[in-house]
This record gives sequence, C-alpha cells and structure tokens, in this order.
Amino acid sequence: MKNYNQPNTLGRFGDYGGMYVSETLMPLLIDLDQSYQKIQKDKKFQKELKDLFKNYVGRPSALHHAKNLSAYLNGPKVYFKRDELNHTGAHKINNCLGQILLAKKMGKTRIIAETGAGQHGVATATVCALFGLPCHIYMGSKDIERQKPNVFRMKLLGANIIPVESGSKSLKDAMNEALRDWIKNVRDTFYIIGSTAGPHPYPKMVRDFQSVIGKEAREQILKIEKKLPDYLIACVGGGSNAMGLFYPFLNEKKVQIIGVEAAGKGPKTNQTAATMTSGTPGILHGSYSYVLQDNDGQIKEAHSISAGLDYPGVGPEHSYLKDIKRAKYYGVTDKEALNAFQLCSKLEGIIPALEPSHALAYLIKAFKNKAKGKTIILNLCGRGDKDLFTAAKAIGFDADE
Amino acid sequence: MNKLDQLPSKKILSLFMTCGFPTLSQSKKVFDEILSHQPDIIEFGLPFSDPMADGPIIQESSKIALKSKITTKQSLNLIAQLKKNSQKTAFVIMCYLNTVQKFGVQNFIKEIKNVVDGIILVDLPFEEEKSIKNLLDKNNIHLIKLISPMTDQKRSKRLLKEAKGFVYYISATGITGSNKLDYKEINKNVLALKKQTKIPVLVGFGIKSKKDVMAISKNTKADGVIIGSALIQKYFDLKMNFTKYIISLRKFIKEVKI
Ligand SMILES: Cc1ncc(COP(=O)(O)O)c(C=O)c1O
Repeated sequence: MKNYNQPNTLGRFGDYGGMYVSETLMPLLIDLDQSYQKIQKDKKFQKELKDLFKNYVGRPSALHHAKNLSAYLNGPKVYFKRDELNHTGAHKINNCLGQILLAKKMGKTRIIAETGAGQHGVATATVCALFGLPCHIYMGSKDIERQKPNVFRMKLLGANIIPVESGSKSLKDAMNEALRDWIKNVRDTFYIIGSTAGPHPYPKMVRDFQSVIGKEAREQILKIEKKLPDYLIACVGGGSNAMGLFYPFLNEKKVQIIGVEAAGKGPKTNQTAATMTSGTPGILHGSYSYVLQDNDGQIKEAHSISAGLDYPGVGPEHSYLKDIKRAKYYGVTDKEALNAFQLCSKLEGIIPALEPSHALAYLIKAFKNKAKGKTIILNLCGRGDKDLFTAAKAIGFDADE
Repeated sequence: MNKLDQLPSKKILSLFMTCGFPTLSQSKKVFDEILSHQPDIIEFGLPFSDPMADGPIIQESSKIALKSKITTKQSLNLIAQLKKNSQKTAFVIMCYLNTVQKFGVQNFIKEIKNVVDGIILVDLPFEEEKSIKNLLDKNNIHLIKLISPMTDQKRSKRLLKEAKGFVYYISATGITGSNKLDYKEINKNVLALKKQTKIPVLVGFGIKSKKDVMAISKNTKADGVIIGSALIQKYFDLKMNFTKYIISLRKFIKEVKI
C-alpha cells in the first residue's frame, strides 16, 4: 500500500461511497465538490483555516503520555491525542471551521446540521456565531433528552434546535430531516455534515479537515519517540475522528490501525451500533457502506449509551479499510465503555466523553499485559462534560442533588 | 411492448400510492379502487425506513405499511396480482435503491419483468445508474428520469439523451408533498425540457387538487401530472376510517381525471 489515493473522482473508496441522492441534490453536490477542490488549492483559504485552528480552537492539541494508564496496563506506552482540549470540547470543530469557510466562499447564507451527541451541533452553532450566519440544528428528541447541557449550549450560541420525532428519534433521523431541509432550501443553504458519512464529497472533505489530528500526531510522536507509533486507536461513529487520525498514517504499513465501534448491549443483540461488526453493505444517507439493516434492506435502529456513536451507518472509507484489511474494527459494549470512562478519569485525571471511552475500553481489554515496548496513540476526541448526567444515571449516582 | 411508450399525448394522469398502506390486505383494495379508474400510470411506492426525499405524508404511509411488516416480496406479489386485472394502466415502481440492492438487482428485475413498465429509483442519480440501467433496458423496463429545478440545461440534456417512458419533473425544489407551485417557472422549465426530449414531461410534487391539475394544464405545456401525497392525506383527514377513505379516493380520482 504505497500510495493510498482514495476516493476516486466519483467519491468511491473501492466499491463504497458514491452519491446516492435525489436529482434535486445532485447539482448541489457537484457544485460543492468543485468548490471544495478549488479551496484546497487556495492559499488564502488554507491560511485562514490554519489561523483559526491555532487561535480559535487552540491547535495543535497536545499529545499526552498517559503514564498511569500505561502502568496499569503493564503493556504498551499509551499516548492520548488530546482533541478533547479543543474549543467546544471535541474534534468536531475542526471540520465545522473548514466547512463554514467553504460555505462563506460559496455565498451561502443559511447553515443546517444534524447532531447526535450535540458536539457537532455545538461546534456548528459556534462557528455560525463566529461568522454571523443563522444556524438550524436537527436533533432527535431522544438525544435532546440525554444531551441537555449541549442543547443549552447551542441555544446560548444562538442556534435554532429542531427536535426530530421520526424513526428512532436519534442521529440517523436527524440526518434524514437535515437532508430534507436541504432539498427544500437548496439555493441558500449549506449543510455542514458532522462526520465522514453522507454522499460524496462529504466523506472525503470531512476526512481532510479532520486529518489535522493525524498530521499533528505524526509530527509529535516522531519528535518524542523518534519513530512512528505501532498502533492507532479511535472510536468510530460515522468515523470522522478516526479518519482524521488514521489518514496521515495509511501509507505506513507498520502502523496497525484499530477502529472501535459501539456494540451497545452486545454485538449479537438487536441493541447495537456496531455497524461493521454486525452490519452488511447497503445504502444510507447517500452513501454505500456497511449499515445495520434487515433482510429487506430496512435500516435498523442503532443503540448505544453514547449518542455520538448511536448511528446504524458508518463512513464509506472505513468500510473500504475494513475490506482491504488495512484497519481492524471491534465492538465494545455500553458497560465496558462506562468502566473505561471511570478508569480513565481516576487514573489520568481526564474525564473522557463516552465516545472515546469506547476506544479506551478496547485498549484496556486488548492490551492488558500485552505489546510491551510498543507505542499507541489513542484519539481522545472529546471530553466528558456533556455525558455527566447520562453516566451518573448509568452508574447509579444521583446527580440532581 | 411497454405501456409507457403508448401514453396519450395530453393530460396524462399518474397516481402514486404506497404498497402495503394501511395494511397489506387493505392495500389491495386501495389499488383496486385506483386502478378501476384506469389512470394512465400508477406508481407503486415500496415502503422504506428512511425515505429521505419524501415529505411527512408519504413518510407516514411508509411507516404504517412497515408496521404491519410488509416485505419487498409481498409488495412485488401484490403488484403482479394487480397486473392481471389491469390492461390499460402503465405500471411503475418508485423506490429507494437499497430496497432493490438488498433484494438483489437481478432477482428484482426477474420479479418485475413483464409486470412493470418503468421504475423510478429516487436516490439513483445519473452518475451511478449505468449498470442497473443496462439490465433494465435488456428487460424492457424504463428507468424514469427525475429532473429538478436545480438541474441546469446542460445537465438535463445529458440526462434526457437516452430517457424513456416519461420525464418526472419535480415542480418545486422540495420533498414530495411540498406546497408552493409557481406556474411560470414550471412552464419555462417544462418548455426547455420538451426541446430536449420527445417523451412526455409530467409534473409532480405538490399537486393536491383538481384546481392544481387544471392550472397545470392551462398554464403550462406539461403533458400531465403526478399526484401522490394528496391521495394518502385523505386517509389521515378521515381519521383512518377505511371505508370512508375508499369513497373519498373514488371521488377525488374522478375529479382529477380532467
Ligand atoms: C466526542 C465525540 N467522539 C466521536 C463522535 C463520533 O463521530 P465520529 O465517528 O465522526 O468521530 C462524536 C459524535 O458526536 C463525538 O461527539
């Protein structure tokens, strides 16, 4: 795998990806793709983005040697890529800044987004406040209930939150409604998708904007360790924080890549969000990729304690990396993630979001007393503030007092 | 022989209805009623869990149909059964690509061959259609083209080059069941399309009443109309009273057949 060069011009990662949308959206996607190609070569655009990364987000994010966790594992040397220190508390802001600059360039005057955990919603509302654009966030009513702090944040930032009552009332349905909004308001609206999902060019564009994570991590680890890491680990919902970390390392054969999905109550139960472990290839939200579906191609509802991973699909590039065996994907249950959430808090003094807690759980499960002398970078892509109530409830702590 | 190649030259009426709505057995009665009026075209919607291009009414009908666990196979069987008593009407399936993919494209085509004259794959754009279109062509099933107000002339020319059956012109940017109709804009776009193709151009999305149908006929050069959401809406208006629903469908279809 010398020169990784995906996707092709039609947005295909191998067989996966593509543009499966109605004709109303096709001209927009083509326009978006062309505009995106232009700004990639636009020095002014890139400079503006870099400046925002530095002074608004606080990049580069630190690479922290998690000594206590490493000692606990008695195995590899673990580094955290600390994107949870970003402004707004997760990696989502990287992508939102890129997309809103693009929206501005394209002369769009209205922003929409979907959100699950609310992190992407908060990041979108934040950049809209910064650039003075009206912002409409679609959010499943189930997620509104379990991510209340983020709902309030978005409101403070001036966003209009539209509760979604259809389907499972979570991320998938929020995305359906956002797509419908876009179909209705094609002329003035820019849809900021929050993950490496959806039709081309989103999976590629979001990956590119997020790949600042991997680029930094690469420089940082080379400086500290004088060599590349042996493993990368990241959680996978739609797959943006994971692709952001993985992408700059894909050509490095020796770097082993691990994606961790949310297996909810267990990968063999009906209450899972582990798309690549339990799903089959199909089409959801404009893209061909692994999805959780029944024998008739009806999309199943996902389940995860983490609203950000509660999605029955996954970005097409992950499906491709799985099939060509460049990356391996594993599922972690709600319970395992909750344990890791607590362990990381105690050992490292870092309260992680429930999403990267899944990556942590896999690390703890798979690397205890193993891989001594190896180095691992784990993407700590979000902080746990937003999950305090959910976690307290699940652990049995009365947080209302 | 394909019935879509023998459509009348004017005032074509195409009626959309979701398969399995409200239940599989009632659905048969709904279609029997619709087909008894011999519309030029009937569009069978296959219910899908995530109908991203559909408005709330068709979404709801899909959801209700899926609640009674209708399968793709049952929908296709229903369509084949209806075909036996319907000589005049052209049969068209409208669905999302995942339904066909999961069934198996070859299998799906085998099932609908000689039953269905055309298919509308809502989320299969021109850029992705090639292999499926070849298979459909071989089996004399027309892949119906959707054109939206966002489609510019250069693009519509490419799309319509090999188009067969009819052109489905989406009359407003929007999802099915949206409400604004701008006849001037529609007519301008329809005229432009008619320069690019000889097959009929039908206007769909947002047509709700006899008044709308008359207005399209009077104010535009469109060859006909497609009505969907309005047929389903009645069911909810009548508080899901099935007997009353059938009666109101009858009255409505008589009205819109102009
Ligand atoms: C902190 C955090 N991590 C991960 C995710 C999952 O998204 P992705 O897989 O695109 O990184 C989310 C989504 O909301 C999130 O908030």
